[in-house]
Amino acid sequence: MPEPQRVHLVLPRHPHAELDAGHAVETLGLEVGFSHDTLAEIRLAVVEACLNALEYGGGEVEIEVTACADGSPRLEVSVIDHGPGFDPTVVPRPQLRAKLRADRKRGWGLELMRRLMDEVEISSRPGRTQVRMVRRQRGG
Amino acid sequence: MTVDTFELRVESRDGNLGLLEVAGYINNEAGEAIAREARRLLDQGHHSLLLDLSNTRIINSIGISLLLEVLEQILEIKGTLAFCSLSPSIAKTFQIMGLSQYTKVFPDRSAGLAALSGQA
Repeated sequence: MPEPQRVHLVLPRHPHAELDAGHAVETLGLEVGFSHDTLAEIRLAVVEACLNALEYGGGEVEIEVTACADGSPRLEVSVIDHGPGFDPTVVPRPQLRAKLRADRKRGWGLELMRRLMDEVEISSRPGRTQVRMVRRQRGG
Repeated sequence: MTVDTFELRVESRDGNLGLLEVAGYINNEAGEAIAREARRLLDQGHHSLLLDLSNTRIINSIGISLLLEVLEQILEIKGTLAFCSLSPSIAKTFQIMGLSQYTKVFPDRSAGLAALSGQA
């Protein structure tokens, strides 16, 4: 059984830093057998988690990626920030009809993460928020 | 230029249809640029806008929210917002959001131009 591959990185503070995380996940995902189409979905989920961490978190944003190739390929990505934290249970699910009438049209990030990944767990307290996401390659 | 570098080309077609050819990562800055050009086309009297995303691999939620502003404005004038050449992940993103209820999606630019030009 092959050993899981792991990558840990700290997001640099520069424009488009969230893409760095996406590229790292894509690179590792390709190595363990993910399809390009599935990786594009994972990449967007990771970008969204990073954008939230960069905007609402504080201090360094860390990314931990674990890729497994045994059996069906599996990617686990954690995005960790050190901001004030939040209660994910009170974040409303966006509805397009309401958003079209609203002044604030943002608020899609968490919904996209949940719909694009197989599992999304958020643990948050002041000083540490971790968004842990898992996606498996489907269909062989 | 990398595949994520944003570029935007705008064309006016037959006075009613505006074509926006988008390349690269659509984030807040790119979304604002698209929204600005879209508003300009609408102010000039265009009622249909076709966004060609054949060279766009990723659009984040902030970029999408800016496209929703364009959509809101188009719906107010009973116009049409359309997309073509969506990557599978962008098509899935739009499906998750429910955008197909309010927009049209075409497989490629020629199909989009043919359909929308017929509305003029």
